[in-house]
Amino acid sequence: MKKSFIDHLLRIRLPLTIFTALAAFTFTYFISKAERDGVGYTPDQPINFSHKLHAGTMKIDCQYCHIGVEKSRHALVPATETCMNCHKIARKDKPEIKKLTAYYEANKPIHWKRIHKVPDFAYFNHSAHVNKGIDCISCHGDVRNMDKIGQMNSFTMAACLDCHRTAHDKLPDNKIIKNGPDNCYACHR
Amino acid sequence: MSEIDNVTKENMPDENYWRGFNELYNEPGFAEQSGPEFQDKVTDEFNPEHLSGLSRRKFLALIGASAALAGAGCSNYRDKGDIVPYNKKPEETIPGEPNFYASTCTECSLACGLLIRTREGRPIKVDGNPDHPVSKGKICSRGQASILNLYDPERLQNPLKRFGDVFNKITWKNADTEIINALNNTGSKGIAVVTNRIVSPSSLNVINAFISRYPTAMHYSYELVNDSIRQSAWAKSGNKGLFPLISWDKAKIILTLESDVLNAEGELIETLQQFAKNRDIDKPDSFSRLYAVEANLSVTGMNADYRIKLRPDAISDFLVLLNNGLNGNTSAVKNFADKFNIKEKTIKYLISDLLKYKGQSIIYAGDKLPEQIHISVNKLNDLLGNDALYRKDTEKVYLHNLSTSVELNRLINNMKSGKIGAVIHLDSNPAFHFSASMGYSEALKKVPFVVTLTESENETSELSNYVLPLNHQFESWGDAQVRSNVLSLQQPVIQPIFATRQKEAVLLTWLSGRPENYNETTYYNYLMKCWEQTYYKNSGSEADFTSYWNNSLHDGVAISPKKLSQSMEVSVMPDKSLPNYDGNYILILKENVLLGDGRFANNGWLLELPHPVTKIVWDNYASISAGAAKELGVKNNDFINISVNRRQLKIPVFIQPGCTDKTITIELGWGRKKVGVVGTSAGFNANDFINYDDVFSPWIIQNVSVQKAGGSYSLATTQEHHSFDKEREQDLHLKRNIIREATVDAFRKNPNIFGEANGKGHKTFYTETDQLFSKGVKWGMAIDLNKCTGCGACIVACTSENNVPVVGKEQVERGREMHWIRVDRYYSGPVEEPKVSTQVMLCQHCDHAPCENVCPVVATTHSPDGLNQMVYNRCVGTRYCSNNCPYKVRRFNFYNFRDKFKSGYQQENLFTLLYNPEVTVRSRGVMEKCTFCIQRITKAKQDATAEKTEFKGSSVRTACQDSCITEAISFGDQHDKDSVIREKMEHKLAYYVLEELNIRPNVAYMAKLRNTRSEEA
Repeated sequence: MKKSFIDHLLRIRLPLTIFTALAAFTFTYFISKAERDGVGYTPDQPINFSHKLHAGTMKIDCQYCHIGVEKSRHALVPATETCMNCHKIARKDKPEIKKLTAYYEANKPIHWKRIHKVPDFAYFNHSAHVNKGIDCISCHGDVRNMDKIGQMNSFTMAACLDCHRTAHDKLPDNKIIKNGPDNCYACHR
Repeated sequence: MSEIDNVTKENMPDENYWRGFNELYNEPGFAEQSGPEFQDKVTDEFNPEHLSGLSRRKFLALIGASAALAGAGCSNYRDKGDIVPYNKKPEETIPGEPNFYASTCTECSLACGLLIRTREGRPIKVDGNPDHPVSKGKICSRGQASILNLYDPERLQNPLKRFGDVFNKITWKNADTEIINALNNTGSKGIAVVTNRIVSPSSLNVINAFISRYPTAMHYSYELVNDSIRQSAWAKSGNKGLFPLISWDKAKIILTLESDVLNAEGELIETLQQFAKNRDIDKPDSFSRLYAVEANLSVTGMNADYRIKLRPDAISDFLVLLNNGLNGNTSAVKNFADKFNIKEKTIKYLISDLLKYKGQSIIYAGDKLPEQIHISVNKLNDLLGNDALYRKDTEKVYLHNLSTSVELNRLINNMKSGKIGAVIHLDSNPAFHFSASMGYSEALKKVPFVVTLTESENETSELSNYVLPLNHQFESWGDAQVRSNVLSLQQPVIQPIFATRQKEAVLLTWLSGRPENYNETTYYNYLMKCWEQTYYKNSGSEADFTSYWNNSLHDGVAISPKKLSQSMEVSVMPDKSLPNYDGNYILILKENVLLGDGRFANNGWLLELPHPVTKIVWDNYASISAGAAKELGVKNNDFINISVNRRQLKIPVFIQPGCTDKTITIELGWGRKKVGVVGTSAGFNANDFINYDDVFSPWIIQNVSVQKAGGSYSLATTQEHHSFDKEREQDLHLKRNIIREATVDAFRKNPNIFGEANGKGHKTFYTETDQLFSKGVKWGMAIDLNKCTGCGACIVACTSENNVPVVGKEQVERGREMHWIRVDRYYSGPVEEPKVSTQVMLCQHCDHAPCENVCPVVATTHSPDGLNQMVYNRCVGTRYCSNNCPYKVRRFNFYNFRDKFKSGYQQENLFTLLYNPEVTVRSRGVMEKCTFCIQRITKAKQDATAEKTEFKGSSVRTACQDSCITEAISFGDQHDKDSVIREKMEHKLAYYVLEELNIRPNVAYMAKLRNTRSEEA
């Protein structure tokens, strides 16, 4: 009797428990992967800025605001002054523009919520990618249709390397592109 | 045939290279110290008995508190922080891209041109300004390290006023008001303004205006070590200007007398550049021959083709001998040579060389030598027609004369007798610099009103009523003139970080009499006005003043054509006789090229930079010969007592090969008492021995008495770290060819002197690497040992560029210094007259890198462009790689040194502004090493992509290459057929260190050629 209980414990209960735990872990791991990588992160911003309106409807070029994208490591969130180029006149009555103007006049910088981030030890460079003709959409998704900006793709090392190794498949329209470097010093230093 | 069998008598260095006495004499303990790369006792500090006594209760309380804090802090786990753009972006700034500004270095009186790299408005790296006609894009270690002073958390941040024994903060307004009142109330009593040498014309204008506003005011100036003796000797030789500059590049024969002209004297940067021009291996016929006469081994002596070991008090006899020799009378040479233990033939070579190259040689006496010697030297040069080498195109300018010792003593006496009502120290520190026997500190206590303007607290500020904080040079406006035809401009590259002001602006405010007249542009406007009224008018420029000014600011320099005052007539004979050589102990005081006059005593980079000759860090010492050590019965680190005329110093000794007996050499600038935590207890102060009234020289003291003092000290040196065990080295070092040397003559006769072999010729089993590196860029470096003087500027540049931490003396003693690049120094030959070889050593980026094979976590790998990569995030700290590296160039972070060093000194908020944002700041437990400045390579690639041009290897310059004053380092793409690097690597003199290991290093060394006489080859 006693023997069969231990037998049951070892042969049925234990493997079953281990299997359930592993399965639960694996399931959660894959289900939560996107969220852990930040995909779908769409925080509230201090000013309710719409990329859909500016970049989509009004077709303002990305580089009108993100001026660093061809020159620098950073794409750069525009200085408040850049917004005021238009909003000194345009839509001055809207509550969000009033907020913006208040920041500008108080000479206070706006604390935008950061959405896309690679770790500190990875030295991603916008200019190297954009100057090779890679469109913003490839990484940032269809920003022109986002009312509220959020992260669309994973920004992990696996995601970087995936494209670096199969650039032609990922970017079939880009004729000049070659596979990106996949050595360590390409990003880490 | 293997490399080892290939060694023949001709190409084998027949000397036994050694690095120090421990190694030479095989002292017990040397093998233990140097054998294992990682010394024992690593785990000492984990002894539980030494752990802090944190109670269980307290521990639980802390855990609870931190858990609560963590819970509160993690309210949104997806949060990635904020992006905070500018409100109004400055036009010239693009975050992520550097800006460069030209300026002028004001840390010493050479006023070299600077090019300062800033990122997001903060300076992060300093290089030389290539447009500067004198320094031509190069600066010294001190100039590079001055950036560390800007971010020194211990800088003075507010004006201080003394209340009894303590200093309290006050506002600038109150300080100014009180000082203006006090100055106005001095009445008939004198006001002394004490400065160092002023090289800025506008600054001098302000001081002069101040002097004329207060009729009792006087300007006093001094320099710890200066060239006033040379100046007065030339005045007596009939020269109207200061003294002529020398075209070193035109000299075939150079004879230096007790002068470290390649490291510490004269026009340092320009001299080195000109000297290196005649060390070009492609033009073996143009090699100059350097004879160095000196007592202690200096950098000049290390690089000399012939070194004559001679006490400074025998130099006048030597000159007489030389004079006779040049007139054909060499009978006394043998006696002299025997008396001073010099090789007779060396002197004969010298005499015949000087005769052979009349008009193409130069005899150069050191700043410290007495006037009579300078006059004799001038005469000899004149006799030989060497005045052809005096430069006619430019002339040295000093805007004012330094105060004489008579004037300084009169000032001190007046202070003592109460005739001086106020003393203003304008960025000077006389309480430290003046010999204690002059009594300056005591005299200062008698002065009712003392103001000190300084960047950080010092010995003088401690004795003052008011201490006013000054801007760092990167926060200041200014100008400088040290040449007749060159004017330099200094511009700030950052807003003053603290409530500091410029010294000129402070004086101008006092002059105006109203504290509220100060604003940030006070001195800027003054400077511009000075330039408009004088230089702009004289320049004959067709542009309007604004564009003239902006152009000058952009370039950092303005050239003003000006007539030279020079006229040489050497007529006056020496009038007083020098004390004769008497065989007693003699003390030589030298300026330390790194710390200067002590101004940089809180600068960790310079304190941890190994001394070019002794490789000692964090201290100075009395350098004596092995013979003297034997006589005194002392070993390295033992204390000796030096005394002369009631002045005394207890200092540890360091036995220096190649020293004359009975001479003691001590470097100045060390031993500051009132200094920040970094420089505390670094070195010993020998300023007390300076005697301005000495018959011979203020810095060469005769008849000193020396005794063993008992007790010993611990000098930290990097020279015996990172070596293999003695036995294997003894067996192989002759064949290893780590240093290859030949003579110019032998090379001329047989360019293939080292055979055809270079490391790439060996067979290998790993043929796939050859294919891997066959296309695209392949990086390589070439280091020309003929041009390298061993100064160490590359080390500072690397430290600055790559965020290398300072580790502290006690860690260096354990062999844990973190420098990615080092300068090895080897002695060879006898202890009395060693030949010295230097070699820059850094990661060789081997094709078959031994470090890569042993890493269990693949943290170090190879890139297709030939770089040995180190990935910090993968590294788990096994240190296998370092163990397997034959060059010992990998560095392990035994601690987070930023936290460990001086209780987190390098973690202060201000300090973090210094870091290069393009390079990871490493933490505890990871290995690191030279990356060939991968951040610069990447940047150049990205720039090429952005500009849609082809990427060329020649567009990359590493930090060490940029900093090398003599351009000994070249870097580039080995596959580029037109590149300099390819040419160098294919040169007959190129060799690889330890090439027999067949690991295929990518750093080629150009074997050193010594320009000895053909009879000797």
